[in-house]
Amino acid sequence: MTALLQVEGLSKNFGGLQVSSDITLDLKAGDRCALIGPNGAGKTTFVNLVTGVLAPSAGTIRLDGHDVTTLTAEARVRRGLIRSFQVARLFRSMTVREHLELAILERERKTFRIFASVRRMPGLADEIAGVMDTMGLTAVADTQVGMLAYGQQRLLEIALALALKPKVLILDEPAAGVPHSESHRILDALDRLPADLAVLMIEHDMDLVFRFAKRIVVLAQGRLLCSGTAQEIAADPRVRDVYLGSRAHAHH
Amino acid sequence: MSAVATNHTRHETARGRMTRIAMDGAAVPIMAAFGLAAFWLFPEDLGLMTRIAATALFVLSLDLVLGFGGIATLGQAAMFGTGAYAAGIAAVHWVSDPIALLAIGGVAGGLIALVTGALILHARGLTLLMLTIAVVQIVQEVVNKARDWTGGSDGLSGIDPAPVLGMFRFDMFGRTSYLFALAVLLVGYMVARRIVKSPFGLACRGVKEDQLRIAALGGSPKRYLVALYAIAGVFAGVAGALTAVTSGIVGLDSVSFSWSAEALVMLVLGGTGRLYGAIIGTVAFMTIHHILAATDPFHWMLFIGLFLMAIVLFAPGGITSAFERLFNRVKGGRA
Repeated sequence: MTALLQVEGLSKNFGGLQVSSDITLDLKAGDRCALIGPNGAGKTTFVNLVTGVLAPSAGTIRLDGHDVTTLTAEARVRRGLIRSFQVARLFRSMTVREHLELAILERERKTFRIFASVRRMPGLADEIAGVMDTMGLTAVADTQVGMLAYGQQRLLEIALALALKPKVLILDEPAAGVPHSESHRILDALDRLPADLAVLMIEHDMDLVFRFAKRIVVLAQGRLLCSGTAQEIAADPRVRDVYLGSRAHAHH
Repeated sequence: MSAVATNHTRHETARGRMTRIAMDGAAVPIMAAFGLAAFWLFPEDLGLMTRIAATALFVLSLDLVLGFGGIATLGQAAMFGTGAYAAGIAAVHWVSDPIALLAIGGVAGGLIALVTGALILHARGLTLLMLTIAVVQIVQEVVNKARDWTGGSDGLSGIDPAPVLGMFRFDMFGRTSYLFALAVLLVGYMVARRIVKSPFGLACRGVKEDQLRIAALGGSPKRYLVALYAIAGVFAGVAGALTAVTSGIVGLDSVSFSWSAEALVMLVLGGTGRLYGAIIGTVAFMTIHHILAATDPFHWMLFIGLFLMAIVLFAPGGITSAFERLFNRVKGGRA
C-alpha cells in the first residue's frame, strides 16, 4: 500500500539558518503517529512546510501519490490534508454550529452559493448533529465560540478538522492549554477519529503521546533523530539526551 | 509559535442575539410601514425622502463590504458614481425604461468593483484604505475628462426616464420617484439579507475574522473578498442609477471621496454589520442634516459634528446598538 502522505528530503533555510534539514516521513492510512522533540526542534516549521504555509527550500511532499509541494495551503486542504491549530484558532463571534456549517460547505464547495439559505441546505443539519454528537458539543451548539471553555474550543478544533473529511490529519498540540486532568477528554475524542485516517500528532504531553501514538518520530535541531514504538522511544538514550540537553540549556 | 488570533470581537449575550434576530426579521415590514407613513405625512419632502432611500441603498452596499467582509474602504462612491453615470448616459442616448437603467447601473457598478477589487484586495488595513481612495479619485478624474459623455464639471442632465413598468409616470411632485425608490430599497434590503444568510455570507464573516483559518478550511480569502466587493458594487451601482433616474441629473460629487466618507459616517452612525443599521444611520444623518441646514445655514456642520461625537462617545456601536441595549434592559426589567 502506498503512503497517503510522503515527505521526502524536506529542508527549509531562513537565510543561513537551517531550521529543517532532509526530513523524510511516510504516513499510511490508519497510522497514528506522533512527532515529538524539544522546543526549537522545528516541529511547527515542519507542520507549516507540509501544510503549505511555508515553501520548502528543498524536498517534495506527496499527498495520495500526487506531488503537492507547490500547491497553496487551501489547495492542499481541498485534497484532504487538514490541520488543527496549536492555539485554538476559531471565529470568535460564530457559534459552534456556524463553524461546522462553514467547514462542511467549504468541503462540498458550496460557499459561492449567494442566494441559498444555510439553514435549508439539504443534509447539512443532520451531518452537523452527527459531528457534534461524536465530539460532545451538542449542548453548546448555539453558543458563540468566544464564550466556550478552552477545552471545548479544542474539541471544536478537532470537530472542524473531522468535518472536512480528511485523508491526512495533522494535529498541532491538540491538548495545549488544556489542564492535564482534562486531557483524557481530548484523547477520547481522538479515539473516535475514523480508523482509516492517517494522523500525525505534534504534542508535548508525553502521557497523551504514549497513549495515542503507535509510532513516534523524534525531531531534534531540524533533523529526524529516530523513530519507533513508544517502548523503543522511551528506552532510547538519544531521546533522553536531546530532552535533557535542552533542559540543561534552559537552565543557563 | 503560531500567531495568536488578535480578535477582540465583543461577545453578545444570548438575549442580545435574540433581539437582533427579531429586529432583523421585522425590519422589512417596519421599513415599508414607516416609508409609506412618511409618504402620507410629509408630502412636501418627497424629494429629500427619495434621496434618503437611494442613499440608504448605497450605505447598505458599504455595510456589505465593511460590516460583513471587514474591508475598510473610502472609495465606495466609485461604484455609486459609475452606476449613476452609466445609467445617466444610457438614459440620454439609448434606454428610457427605469428598471433597465437600474440594471445597467448595477452591472456597471459590479464590473468596476470586480476589476478594481481584483487589483487592490490583496492589501489590508491602511494600505487598502489608501488604494480605495486612489480608485475613487481616478474614476472621478476619468469622468471629469470624458466631458463629451459625462458633461464634466457641469454634470450630466437630460435624463428623462419612461414610466415605471410602462404605467407609473414620474410626476412633478416626486410621488412616483419616492415610491419607486422605496420599493427598490426594500427589494435591495431583502436581497442583501438573503446574501448575508447564504453560505457565501457565512464564509465572508469567516474571512472578516480570520483569513488564515478560512484557508485552513480550504477557502481562498481573496476570492471571497473580491466576490463580496463586486456584489456590493452592484448594490452601489443600482443606488447610483436610482439617484440618477429619480433626480434626473448626475454630478461629479457622486464619484467623490467625500461622498464615500459621508456614507461611512452614516453607516457608523447606524451601526455596522446589521444591514438595518445602514438604513437607520442614513435616515438619521440625512434628516438631521436637512433640519439643521434649514434652521441654521451657517453653523449646521458644527451641530452635525457634535451629534457624531455624542454618538461615538455614548453609543459606540451606533444608534442600533444603543437601541438594542435599551430594548434588552426594558425586556430584562420586565422578566
